[in-house]
Parts: sequence; C-alpha cells; structure tokens
Amino acid sequence: MTRFGHSELPDEQADALRRAKLIEWLSIGYTVCTVTVVAFVVGNSQAMRTAWIEDMLSTLPQIAFLIAVLFIRRPHTRKHPYGMHRAMGVGHLVGGVALVIVGGLLAYESISGLVALDHPTIGTVSLFGHTIWLGWLMVGVMVPIAIPPFFFARAKLRLSEQLNNKLLYADAAMSRADWQTNAASIVGVLGIGFGIWWLDGAAATFISAGILWDGLTNTRAAVLDLTDMRATTVDQKSPHPLIDEIEETLRELPWVREVGCRVRDQGHVMHVEAFVVPRDDTVSLDDLESAGHRVAALSWTMQDVAIIPASELPEELAPST
Amino acid sequence: MIPHWASQAVLPLLPLLALLGCSLQVPSDPEGTLDRVSGGVLRVGASIEGDLVHEDDGSVSGTEAALVEDFAESIDARVEWTVGGEEHLVEQVKSGDLDLVIGGITDQTPWVEEVGVTRGYPGIPGAEGRSLVMIVPPGENRFLSELERFLDERVA
Repeated sequence: MTRFGHSELPDEQADALRRAKLIEWLSIGYTVCTVTVVAFVVGNSQAMRTAWIEDMLSTLPQIAFLIAVLFIRRPHTRKHPYGMHRAMGVGHLVGGVALVIVGGLLAYESISGLVALDHPTIGTVSLFGHTIWLGWLMVGVMVPIAIPPFFFARAKLRLSEQLNNKLLYADAAMSRADWQTNAASIVGVLGIGFGIWWLDGAAATFISAGILWDGLTNTRAAVLDLTDMRATTVDQKSPHPLIDEIEETLRELPWVREVGCRVRDQGHVMHVEAFVVPRDDTVSLDDLESAGHRVAALSWTMQDVAIIPASELPEELAPST
Repeated sequence: MIPHWASQAVLPLLPLLALLGCSLQVPSDPEGTLDRVSGGVLRVGASIEGDLVHEDDGSVSGTEAALVEDFAESIDARVEWTVGGEEHLVEQVKSGDLDLVIGGITDQTPWVEEVGVTRGYPGIPGAEGRSLVMIVPPGENRFLSELERFLDERVA
C-alpha cells in the first residue's frame, strides 16, 4: 500500500502511479535527447529557436506532475486540512497553459511563414565524401524521434483514466502534440524535397490548430475544477458518474428521505459533501458514520467525505420540480 | 484534439509521398532554376572583393569568379555578370532577377534568414582562411544541391 494523503492507495492505483512516474521521467529524458540530437541536424536558426522553446515547454506538464506527486502523499494537517491533492489541479492548469503556448508559437511561426510566402531552403551535407541532401537526414532523424511520444501519449491517456488524473490527461495531449509535430515536419521536409514549398507550413498550421485546441480545453477544464465546478470525467465531457452513485447509495438507507451532494474534483480525488434530510428529527451518530463509510467504499477517489444532516437540502442541490 | 480521421490520414500519406519521390527529382526547385539555367544563361551578381572578385575592363575575374565560371561550364551554361553592392544583389536574387551572388561572403552572413546560402567552403584561394558561401534564390533546393555538389568536388 502506498501512503496517499490521509489514506492509502489500492494496489492497482499504486501500481499505475509508479508507472506514471516512470513514464514522466522517460518523457523528460526523451526531450533532453531530442533537443540534443535535433540541434545537430537542423541548421536554420529561427526555426530552431522556436523548436527549442517548444521542446522545453513540453516538459512542463511532466515536471508539474512529478512535483505534485511529492505533495499529494502528505498527510492532512491542521494547516492543510484538505491535504495537498489540489497540487494535481494546479499542475493541470500548468499543463493546459503550456499546451496553449506551444500551439500558439507553432501556429504563429507556420502561418507567418505561409503569409510571407517563405520558400524553405534545405541544402546538402557532405558525409564520408558524398554530398547528400540534408532533407533525407532530417527525415531519418525525425522518424525515430516521432515514435516514442506516440506510445507515451497512449500510455498516459490510459493511466490518466486509472488514476482519475487530469494532469496526466493534459500531458497525454502534450505527447500527442510531440509526435504529431514531428510527423508534420517529416511531411513538410518531404514536401520541400518535391518542390511543394508550402506543405511544411500547411502541415504545421494544421497540427498547431489541434494543439491549441487541446490547450484551450485543458486550461478551461483546470480553471473550472479549481473554481469548484461539480466533478466531471477526465475528458470533462460529462458529470462524474460517482455523483449519482453516491446519491443512490445514501438514498438506499432506510433513515434517509432526501440526498443532495456537492462533489468537487481536487485534481484526481474527490471532496464530497453529502447533505441528507432524515425521515425523523433525530439521527444517530452510528448511522451518520456508517453512511460516510459506505460512500468512501465506493471508490478510492473518495478522499474526503462529509455527511451533513439537514432539515432541507440547499437550494442548488434540491431536485428540480 | 485533432479529429481521429485526420491523424490517421497523416500516416498513410508518408509512403505515398515516398512513392512520389521515385518519380520526381528530390530535392527539386519550386521555380525550376536549375532546369532554366542548364544549357542557358546563369545570371550572377558579383560584389568586388580583393583577389576573389575583381573587374577589369568590364569583365569579371578573380578566384571565386573563376569557380563560378567552372560551375556554369559543368551545367553547360553561360555566365551573365552583374556587378554591384551586396545588399542590392541580394535583393535581386530574392526577387528572382539573379540566380547566384558571390563576393567574399562568409558563413557568418545574416542573409541566411532571407535567401538560400550554401555551406561554407574554407578552401577557396584568396579567401585568407575565411569560410566562403554563395547566395542562391530561397527554396531552390535542387539548384543549391547541384552547386554544393560541385563545390564539394572542387574545393573541399
């Protein structure tokens, strides 16, 4: 069991967390390698600077995740009564903003090149006495470089669901941006080879639109979570199914007449405040505590469950009539 | 996120492009510079620079100029010289009025942002150890590659 705030992680999630940490370290190591290797191949300076800044920014979500992991283990204290789970939410915002900047830089660079009708120049290199077109070498380097992030993206997406972790979800988008940008530059360089000078800019524009979109949706999602919107699934598309499950579980108790829940996502775990209206005027402590345990048992993400008896539900939680 | 169909469309495109490569010259010139100058006229801009490029009685000579004459001969072309200041010549190569510019330009040139530039060649006589480049129209990659191949054989 792995220590996790004031509880412990189930084996499946503890294992997923270990793999997530490993893959984040691999991603950072990968970026360090690509920055070094690409520096040897790509000569044209302006494009290179942008590519470097992008590469460095692409490690931000990974760094944010590895830092957040240190904080989420901390026990709850008087000073931090909710624990430090929000560190994941903050990291999600960092990841979203990093995606916006990377996508924005790429979009600006590629669109301004297209508008200026820039014809990219790629000459030759002299290798072992042969004169070889540099484009072939670029493609040769870009193909192996594009492969790892393709698998990183898939693994991160799977782990983000297992860990209910939106920072990993944003980072999966960053890895996807990595391999798609590389694939686009392969298409672009080959296009230049065939004399289709605009293909490089067009491919990069197309890819940057996708990255920018990922960035905007992730940033929006992070801000909504940090401003305590009701918990959603990792892709932010629908209310988290656990909200219904919690209400169902409590409604099944014989002493409960009405239930309304406030569930917020702290980046990967839930903070649950369940208002219950009892059938009688009195409720026993035993009933309240066992209700809390039942809810906590629904999922490992139920880190903080408060059962609040009330004479009527708060207005916003009352079933609409 | 990019739509699924779109990311799936990029990958099958690669072998298609590779197939195209077998039937075409890679790299090729978007404006067809090499095809046009081969067997025709090579319009070269020259800025005067020591032993490399000088002008006597209306004809251009010098070690770098001789190199250009040899390159023109290798593609069966006749050189038409325009003598002028470097910036003016670079503007002309950019606008397509010249095919090549020489005159003691080194591999530190800031023109690399604006036009096509060859690799640096340190072995040109009279360059006094400087690594010299020649300027070509931007994106004319086949013409550039042909020129670099010639220079690799001749001065590297």
